[in-house]
Amino acid sequence: MSEERREPEETRSPAFRRWMANAAGALIFPLIAILISFAIGAVIMLVTGNNPVTAFGALLRGAFGSPLAIGRTLLNATPLVFTGLAVAVAFRAGLFNIGGEGQFFIGAITAAVVGAYLGSLGVFGMVLALAACALAGFLWGAIPGFLKAYFGAHEVITTIMLNYVGIYLATYLALNPFRSEGLVPGTEAIDLTARIPFLAAGLGRANYGFVFALVAAAAVYLLLWRTKRGFEIRAVGLSPGAASYAGMGIGLNTVLALAIGGSLAALGGGEEVLGVYGKMSIPFVENIGFNGIGVALLGRNHPVGVILGAILFGGMTAGAQEMQFSTNVPLQLTDVLLAVILLLVTATKLVELIVGKRARALAGTRLEGGL
Amino acid sequence: MTEREAGGATTGAQAEAPVVLEMRGITKAFGPVKANDNISITLHRGEILGLLGENGAGKSTLMKILYGLYKPDSGAIFIDGEEVEIHDPKDAVSRGIGMVHQHFTLIPPLTVAENIVLGAEPRKGFSLDLEGAVKATEELSERYGLVVDPRARVADLSVGVQQRVEILKTLYREARILVLDEPTAVLTPQETEDLFAVLKELVADGLSIIFITHKLGELLGISDRITIIRDGHVVATVVTAETDERELARLMVGRDVLLRVEKTETKPGEPRLAAEELVVLSNTGARAVDAVSLEVRSGEILGVAGVDGNGQTELADALAGVRYAESGRVYLDGEDVTALGSDPRQERGLAYVPEDRASKGLVQDFALYENNSLKTYDEPPFSRWGWIFPKVMRRRAAENLRAYDVRPPDPEARARSLSGGNQQKAILAREFSDDPGVIIASQPTRGVDVGAIEFIHRQLLEQRSEGKAILLISLELEEVRSLSDRIVVIYAGRIVGEVGPDATDEELGLLMAGREEKST
Amino acid sequence: MDDVLTSLGTLFASTIRNATPLIFAALGGMFSERSGVVNIGLEGLMLISAFAGVVGASLAGSALVGLGFALAAGLIFALIHALMCITFEADQIISGTAINLLALGGTGFLMVQIFGSGGTSPRVPGFKEVPIPLLSDIPLIGPALFNQSLLVYLMYLLIPITWFAVFRTPFGLRLRATGEVPEAVDTAGVSVSRMRYYGVALSGLLAACGGVYLSMGILSAFTEGMTNGRGFIALAALIFGRWNPIGAAGAALLFGFAQAVTFQAPQEVIPLEFIQMLPYILTIVVLAGFGGRAIAPAAIGKPYRHE
Repeated sequence: MSEERREPEETRSPAFRRWMANAAGALIFPLIAILISFAIGAVIMLVTGNNPVTAFGALLRGAFGSPLAIGRTLLNATPLVFTGLAVAVAFRAGLFNIGGEGQFFIGAITAAVVGAYLGSLGVFGMVLALAACALAGFLWGAIPGFLKAYFGAHEVITTIMLNYVGIYLATYLALNPFRSEGLVPGTEAIDLTARIPFLAAGLGRANYGFVFALVAAAAVYLLLWRTKRGFEIRAVGLSPGAASYAGMGIGLNTVLALAIGGSLAALGGGEEVLGVYGKMSIPFVENIGFNGIGVALLGRNHPVGVILGAILFGGMTAGAQEMQFSTNVPLQLTDVLLAVILLLVTATKLVELIVGKRARALAGTRLEGGL
Repeated sequence: MTEREAGGATTGAQAEAPVVLEMRGITKAFGPVKANDNISITLHRGEILGLLGENGAGKSTLMKILYGLYKPDSGAIFIDGEEVEIHDPKDAVSRGIGMVHQHFTLIPPLTVAENIVLGAEPRKGFSLDLEGAVKATEELSERYGLVVDPRARVADLSVGVQQRVEILKTLYREARILVLDEPTAVLTPQETEDLFAVLKELVADGLSIIFITHKLGELLGISDRITIIRDGHVVATVVTAETDERELARLMVGRDVLLRVEKTETKPGEPRLAAEELVVLSNTGARAVDAVSLEVRSGEILGVAGVDGNGQTELADALAGVRYAESGRVYLDGEDVTALGSDPRQERGLAYVPEDRASKGLVQDFALYENNSLKTYDEPPFSRWGWIFPKVMRRRAAENLRAYDVRPPDPEARARSLSGGNQQKAILAREFSDDPGVIIASQPTRGVDVGAIEFIHRQLLEQRSEGKAILLISLELEEVRSLSDRIVVIYAGRIVGEVGPDATDEELGLLMAGREEKST
Repeated sequence: MDDVLTSLGTLFASTIRNATPLIFAALGGMFSERSGVVNIGLEGLMLISAFAGVVGASLAGSALVGLGFALAAGLIFALIHALMCITFEADQIISGTAINLLALGGTGFLMVQIFGSGGTSPRVPGFKEVPIPLLSDIPLIGPALFNQSLLVYLMYLLIPITWFAVFRTPFGLRLRATGEVPEAVDTAGVSVSRMRYYGVALSGLLAACGGVYLSMGILSAFTEGMTNGRGFIALAALIFGRWNPIGAAGAALLFGFAQAVTFQAPQEVIPLEFIQMLPYILTIVVLAGFGGRAIAPAAIGKPYRHE
């Protein structure tokens, strides 16, 4: 009896421990990048005559220091989870999805229009709006996928180009056929019953969109590690040669990976419209798609990492306001710090010089969840 | 290929000419493998020295040392009697050594003249003297009979002409010692003739040439002396006029007999894998497999011997359904599967162990259990309704890995962390444990340690005794001989002969060098 | 009739003004990409130089000093990108994205530190229009082409100069070779790293000219985010023009024309946004292979390891 018991425990324990070691190893690297970046930030603060301790203290306070602050952080983080996942899924297939910005806008306008028309259906309307925007993003994301698979057009350039096409298209739609009669340029306000409800009183305007984001992250995890499609996407991304020798279709998976990415980024836009603004006004919030790239990179292209990365980005943006308010350090400093983090995370050799050779091995560790 | 008199193309006067290059006692090891083991060669002025040996014999390493790409562990190099140290290719070039590699380093969108002068451009003030470059090219071209159009784009040129550009590059830099690495591998017979004419012009002008090849017939036609290298050391140096094909073949190919694995008698049954007039194109559009017909019966191992690059890869790929066949048919257990891809063929019981295990056989960054299910991930019990069940995959992988002696037998270990031999065994575990009927194994023991080699050989023989049909493609003659029941030799995409495992080194060597079987 | 002519004249002049920063940036991008380094950070390079130019001009009261500051800023940021991509073998796309972020955040931050508040900087001496005698009197195109800022005249000169540099000098030959087959360059004894550093450095200098024109050739002040995607349009022009200086300039001119038209044409004919989309759609079409595939330098995007 005890012998039968031994086998499952034996295989689970070392596997779990190895997973933990992998996770720790994968996270140490971004952590080092963050620390170095903050050190640089401290230097900049000193040079411009500010006190780093109070400044960073204000930053932390503004990000996590009170329920309202946490609410702000969650509010900022939510769309970033979606756009981060959009980049991460594509990366798993070996593709660069730089088109999150355009996909975000396409999702936003779709949700705004469908939400405005179906607002009277309450929660059901909200669900339909989200479904519509996911579909729109799927189709939009399939375009560069298709161009790559069948024409060999590199997805970096096509997604960048489509960003602008998407932004302008959404802007046009919001300002012309679907324009509301109100003072603020943009679409009709969506019925209150069809909006995403708030999370809790103390958390300010944070809404259940964050929960949706977590669900999306869980769905991405399941997709990548528990479905046939995800298996193929990962195989194609890690070794197109072996994948095609095993009979997997490279073209199909390319299109699907980018389409799913588009879908996720679009949901981010839809969440902003349905949960935060209630409409799509022009100008609409920008750079969420681009920042998704940084979030995905920091999070090592894993759903859990993306959530953590989004919280970091969101927290820094939320805290920046407080920092500027209390200490006169301009809030744009956080953008600078985030850019430095990005540079450090990708320049593995540089961090290696600073921290030693072991960092290189850690950088190579991909966070592969497999439990 | 036309018959060549054994006698060489030049007179024997060169042997008295001064020694222009000597490499003495060169040794170079990569880890435990000694690529060059105390090799010494001499090159006289105005001579063509052939460097003959199989793949992996050590010829390329020796020449890379000469060209400054590697530093020898020991030994010395003398040019015109003076000892020199060659630190990098720039150094080598400045000492008059020019090398034409097997894989050209030409820039397709640029013109011939631009490619030739790159790095040593003629100038007119600030600008590039394009006219000067063209003129220099024309002069060299005329002098040595290397016909090229200086203004043509390299991308538009045939391979033979591209090679001339590579040679012109070395001449432009005033090379006196020219090394050609497998120059005829990419040439048609006509282009080969043209090349030989050029080489004769070059030596008449006082250049000295080292001609590296495995095609001994050609060496007989062009060289003055031949140095044969085998397994990292020099076996012999002969005067071309005093040798013949049979001797060269024996010197090149003969080796110490390795362990021969016990082979039981089996009675081959029906053909389970057959190819009929199969034509497969290479990535460059040439006919890599040229109307090949063969059949493999159940309970038999058919070995395909031949030098690397004669169509083996394309043949294996086409039989497995990974590569498209231009024409011809493939049959699996009597069924015409030519139109089917690799997935359906795998479902019909075809297993494929590809020669490139690193990038085609395994996903290096996948865990072993994921690699183990690389072809079965979408079938029950590993998958249902689109979901996959890693737990089931892990369990099956654990069994397979243990059965095939993969070390460590850890389903979670990443493929990359395993040694070459264990990676290969993991592939075997995947392919064989599904009980296939037909197995295509391409270079199954390349880069694998001796212990794993023995294991893999035993596995193949076991499958054979269970009645599977096995097609074994290998560059290792001993392996082919010890495992196969029948052997076919492939050369330039065609099957040039079939022999039994008891064929002599000479017979095999000749076939591998392209001599069709002659009835005696 | 006069009305139409004046409108046309304004249109042409406006086209040149819009195209100038694009041409500068596209030419810069060409040097970088031809050497094998992707540079999607053109946007950030232009922005930081636009800002640096204004800072320099405001400090010294001279537009020329501003230009010097801008060139320095463009060069430094470009060298960061070069260091990351060439020496540290970072991913070139991500590095470019980080440069853009750094410029955006950095300019915002410094705006507050130096000028006290965000938004728009105070006015500074700029590069005003300088009409060329005689030529600027040619009807219709005269004022458009020859009554422009000195920077525009510089741009005119740079087009043939860069063409010459890339296709008729040894430097250009080696640069092109580096982006196609770095192994060939290495074996010929030329340093691949050094060529790539030159390529990226030049992209910084040229993009800086484009940025300076934006802030000091038209407005004489810096506004946050004023590049507004022009770096990406320049990239599109480069690809559309097949990495050739003449082609890229022509494409940039086309895109500049499209931008000029949006301000002059009646909006009912074609909506503003669709004209704004045009450069990007055209580039996608070109990439997909219609009208002959646009093929990038073969070795672009991959770090080169000297074996």
